[in-house]
Amino acid sequence: MSANPTNGPGGITRRNFLTTVGAGAIGAAVSENALAAGKEVAPPQVTPAGRSVEVALRVNGRTHVVQAETRWTLLHVLREVIGLTGAKPGCERGECGACTVLIDGIPRYACLTLAVEVQGHDVTTLEGLMDGEKLGTVQAAFVEADAFQCGYCTPGQVMAVEGLLRANPNPSVEEIRRGVSGNLCRCGAYQHIFKAAHRAAELKAGK
Amino acid sequence: MADESKDIYYVEGTPIPETPLPGKEPPPWRETSVVGKALPRVDAYERVSGSAAYPSDVHLPNMLHGAILRCPHPHARIRRIDASAAAKLPGVRMIISGNTPEADLIWKKDPVGDMRLFEPICRFEGDVVAAVAAETPYQAWDAAHAISVDYEVLPFVADERQALKPGVPVVHPKGNVSKTDRYERGDIAQGFAAADVVLEESYRTECELHTPLEPHGCVANWDGRSLTIWESSQGVYAVQSRVAEVLKLPLARVRVIGHYMGGGFGSKLEPGKYTIIAALMAKLSGRPVRLFLTREETYLCVGNRPPTNMTVKAGVKRDGTLTALEFSVLGTGGAYTAGGTSLADWLARDLYTCPNVRTISTDVFINAGPARAFRAPGHPQGAWALEQMMDTLAEAIGMDPVQLRLKNIPSVSQAREGNPPYTSTAFKECLELGAAAFGWEKARGEARAQRASRHIRRGVGMAGGLWFAGGGRPPSTVVVKLFPDGSANLNMGASDLGTGTKTVMAMVIAEELGIKPEAVQIECADTGTTQYATPSGGSKTVPTEAPAVRNAAVQVKQKLLEMAAEALKVDAAELVYRGRDIASRQDSSKRIAVKDLEALKRQGIVVGIGYRGPNPKNMTTHPFAAQFCEVEVNMLTGELKILRFLAAQDSGRVMNRLTYGNQVIGGITMGIGLAATEQRILDTGRTGKMVNRNWHDYKLPTALDVPVDVTVLPVEPVDTAANNTGAKGLGEPATIPTAAAIANAVYHATGLRITCTPIHPQQLVQRLADRPKEG
Amino acid sequence: MLPSFDYIRPKSVQAAITHLATGSAQAHAGGTDLMGCLRERIFPVGKVVSLSGLPELRGVSETADGGLRIGALTALSALSEHPIVIKRFGGLAQAAGEVGSPQLRNQGTLGGNICQKPRCWYYRTDFTCLRKGGGTCFAVDGENQFHCIFGGGGTCFIVHPSDTAPALVALNATARLAGPRGSRDVPLEKFFVLPEVDVQRETVLARGEIVTEIRIPPPVSGTRSSYRKVRARRSWDFALAGVAMALRFDRKRVIDGRVVLSGAAPIPWRSKEVEQIVRGKELTVDVIAAAAKAVTSGAEPLEKNGYKLALFQGMIEEELTLMAASA
Ligand SMILES: Cc1cc2nc3c(=O)[nH]c(=O)nc-3n(C[C@H](O)[C@H](O)[C@H](O)COP(=O)(O)OP(=O)(O)OC[C@H]3O[C@@H](n4cnc5c(N)ncnc54)[C@H](O)[C@@H]3O)c2cc1C
Ligand code: FES
Ligand code: FES
Repeated sequence: MSANPTNGPGGITRRNFLTTVGAGAIGAAVSENALAAGKEVAPPQVTPAGRSVEVALRVNGRTHVVQAETRWTLLHVLREVIGLTGAKPGCERGECGACTVLIDGIPRYACLTLAVEVQGHDVTTLEGLMDGEKLGTVQAAFVEADAFQCGYCTPGQVMAVEGLLRANPNPSVEEIRRGVSGNLCRCGAYQHIFKAAHRAAELKAGK
Repeated sequence: MADESKDIYYVEGTPIPETPLPGKEPPPWRETSVVGKALPRVDAYERVSGSAAYPSDVHLPNMLHGAILRCPHPHARIRRIDASAAAKLPGVRMIISGNTPEADLIWKKDPVGDMRLFEPICRFEGDVVAAVAAETPYQAWDAAHAISVDYEVLPFVADERQALKPGVPVVHPKGNVSKTDRYERGDIAQGFAAADVVLEESYRTECELHTPLEPHGCVANWDGRSLTIWESSQGVYAVQSRVAEVLKLPLARVRVIGHYMGGGFGSKLEPGKYTIIAALMAKLSGRPVRLFLTREETYLCVGNRPPTNMTVKAGVKRDGTLTALEFSVLGTGGAYTAGGTSLADWLARDLYTCPNVRTISTDVFINAGPARAFRAPGHPQGAWALEQMMDTLAEAIGMDPVQLRLKNIPSVSQAREGNPPYTSTAFKECLELGAAAFGWEKARGEARAQRASRHIRRGVGMAGGLWFAGGGRPPSTVVVKLFPDGSANLNMGASDLGTGTKTVMAMVIAEELGIKPEAVQIECADTGTTQYATPSGGSKTVPTEAPAVRNAAVQVKQKLLEMAAEALKVDAAELVYRGRDIASRQDSSKRIAVKDLEALKRQGIVVGIGYRGPNPKNMTTHPFAAQFCEVEVNMLTGELKILRFLAAQDSGRVMNRLTYGNQVIGGITMGIGLAATEQRILDTGRTGKMVNRNWHDYKLPTALDVPVDVTVLPVEPVDTAANNTGAKGLGEPATIPTAAAIANAVYHATGLRITCTPIHPQQLVQRLADRPKEG
Repeated sequence: MLPSFDYIRPKSVQAAITHLATGSAQAHAGGTDLMGCLRERIFPVGKVVSLSGLPELRGVSETADGGLRIGALTALSALSEHPIVIKRFGGLAQAAGEVGSPQLRNQGTLGGNICQKPRCWYYRTDFTCLRKGGGTCFAVDGENQFHCIFGGGGTCFIVHPSDTAPALVALNATARLAGPRGSRDVPLEKFFVLPEVDVQRETVLARGEIVTEIRIPPPVSGTRSSYRKVRARRSWDFALAGVAMALRFDRKRVIDGRVVLSGAAPIPWRSKEVEQIVRGKELTVDVIAAAAKAVTSGAEPLEKNGYKLALFQGMIEEELTLMAASA
């Protein structure tokens, strides 16, 4: 009766969640512009404080052109403008890791990253690890190892492990611990997170 | 796609518990088929895919963002607030403060007097002064920073150890004593006289902050006269009642939703002033308001584990019999009445057999944020003192620390009126089995043997504990609905804090109905649509809710049996529910599939209502624990490394082996924080302000601070008296002995008794340097 | 929440310098430190000048003489994982690998690391302290457990937060600065400013000046470098005490070298006392004990940081013993 690691227990799907009232942002400020993909929309002149600037962000393979103030962080834009709430705010000062995303495949804190700084780079969020309704490998390993409690640090932990495994597909326990040492878990599920990372490495290797 | 509608029942022929006659409580389970297994969570997908909507993810159309301006002084009178400049900033839609007539509300009744929402005198750094709602969170913060406030800064007291000295500023006019409690049994003087060894030692634990990963906050929205709040909360009904009380609304017009929440540990058992402020700003602006605290704010005003200053005096005979225990504690709940010493003395009263006990607790006010319950209030602190004292006593009489504890195990709660027996206690087994599985004696010996040579020394230590509550109690009401295809829905008011509550409840229903846990859909934590529940916490959620859920599932079966009896034209008592179908015990040809029950099809669903029954009379239910650890100390630098842990836990029946293990490792992580890294630091001398209000300066254990090697050993006594599931609580007991076990191991490694938390290099290297040189 | 600021991402070093020379402009490299300063509104920032449009400031390469050139924008993780750095400048790789957390190392740059602002909690929170232009240092008689034991000079008692700076000083590195008046080379040892010189600055950078690269001379054969850091928790934490060493050995004898402390003083602090004791000697138990004792000579602990004496002594003993064992 163990859960199917790739399908979520009982095949519960993402759709069920849409019954939750109004979760996620509305994409009013978002427009898609395939042509802008990869193109530098960086301000060559000074963008004055308080003024919004057009920023093209490539997130999970899609380009979003958004109006953003220069001070808006990537975390803010992902959550409040684009509507991807996987990355979580925990401290907004680089001290918890709940906001971890991959930028060009490397884990970074979205809260310490200005949105304007990310143009021309690839951002991957938790949502980007999904294959349609199917969980990504690391996510599936987290389910199997019960690598979370409240789940609020989990998106960041998953992204840290994803980043680790992309750089080092077969990490030792010590490398795993170091790899997630930029992600707090107040619920304290660390040992299960270590197991999940190990399991994810196995799954990725087809074991 | 697989046809999941055919996949509702688990294994064919798996025994399903007997259905009691209507009106009868089901007897405790014996063997179980689902309960106790290691199953992934029913909401795991939502939590790892990002689809779980935490309250801080809720984004309503046209929503404003709030920010709160807080008092920067530990004690100050507000003379004047000028928000005129702030009001002119872009995006600002609403500013409220003590000047706003609608905001003149009583927030809480306190024995020292009513607390207003906006107090004219701020008695702790971080009390609210004004609040803003604006189009973006950035604009809200710009405006909050632009409000100018004229404060009359008042003298303060920020150290509870100074609070009762003459001439110290008072927090409230009636003085700085909040509460004094005394407890006494037997004759303490006689007890000490009868002892062969009497020892006395003082201990201190520092103030800890809960800091769950999701900050405190909510989204508030009005539909005309009705208010809906999405709050990151441990108990939606607790939020509902306080909000209704403060805003003077009927309960029915306040709906609180908290499907997911990012951790609480006690700090989200109640709403905050921010909840009321968000609701008010939403009302006044006519727009939804999201108001989440910044991380820095959460350090100041949403609770803490109070610091404790404890003294233990203990008498013991050479054979290990405890003769007397005297325990005193000075603590503080901060600037208001908040249980600054609650339960710190409970272990001294109740953990070990001792005829003569006296405890004194003095709770004082200081100008600091009020405390809130924090995972096992009082207990890890009490264990820090008592369990170190037990270690010291054992050494003094030349006895093994485990043996000394085994010598003094009670079967009744001595601290309770009438000495009620425990419904079960496996404290003895926790100690014995734990020591065996850990390899206690061998590890102690080996650590000693390799000691002399190197500057890295090993030590092995252990400690025990019990939790004051953890048996659960009424009230709880839940509803189980069975659909005609056999799948079910559970409607329950309780929140799942990440402890796995939902999963356990799905497993209880699965056990009774013979269906798979994933065939159970759960609706929880919503005062608008789910049944009443007390907040989740105190290790009482599973023992409270699981029996009610079981009762509801049983009622569903009773109703199905009646339907089948009618269909088969036999007496219901003759029938047995087998999951997929219902059959006669006498004549197995008389059977009918659940999905063929005409009455069920007609009705659409069968509803079972379950209540949490009363606890047994004259007995008391508690979980127990014994934890063992091995550490390494760098004698040159004072660095402490925790190498391994073993936790032997008696929480009654294991409901889900996977989430059980998770709770325990989480408890140990938190205990490591208390022991080694966490400490609120107030600038007590000059400003009284908190200097480490962030996760860098206030240090939670990271992945590199916990051992990889943690073994969780459930010890499962059969408890048929506690409740109909046999489960006792787990969350709190898992963290109670941890810090003390570490301190004992550090003593074993170094010969230094560290009586104050945290055992960080700063403290340890100094103590190592101060010790007389070894000969 | 961050306050608002003008923002520019210039395409040339020259343009960056021009922008930085005006108003209250601040350079943004990885931003890991700057964002925190902005959030706490520690100093006014009218304009953020992003250096991320200057790829020429990125990367590690060997110079013709066998030394190392490190672009100021090189990420710390790139540095700590760089094979040449690991092999020939081990102390620097270790130091870069001990900074903050993996994410911070991925994002934080070497230039930002040596130019970062202090971590004194009074400075970082809403206290108007000396360094922020106020009239008083709150640490001197306050919560000073993490403050300095050397170099406070009776004014401001910060410790320099950087892990890489002591390693760079030990390796005798030089910073190349570019500013409105052209470029100049400053030895890292001369790059940092004591509070008694200027309580509001941590480096010699003039207005508009940036660090463009760091150069490390080729290590003389027999040199061994290391960095050891003790902290209150094992990740994500600054040094309570740290030591970078670059010692040149002739078999078991130390010929010369540098010993530089972190967590000790407002600047990376060379312990000339330790250097002098080990110079010309074999690292025997007695030499090590003398060096350990010497590391804190002249230290002036505050009320709550006295433990640093024992800690530095213990750490020096441990590190020198390790060095001796590998000699
Ligand atoms: C939680 C946390 C923990 C940390 N732990 C550590 C630690 O353990 N050890 C440690 O050493 N650091 C630590 N840091 C500090 C910081 O992250 C690193 O020092 C990082 O290397 C800074 O680099 P950056 O590129 O992100 O700097 P930025 O934030 O971009 O810049 C920092 C400062 O330097 C200036 N600056 C940047 N580049 C240049 C340049 N080329 N020329 C002139 N001025 C420049 C900026 O104007 C700014 O004032 C920590 C930070 C955080 C948030
Ligand atoms: S929210 Fe980014 S690190 Fe905490
Ligand atoms: S699961 Fe709750 S913080 Fe990690």
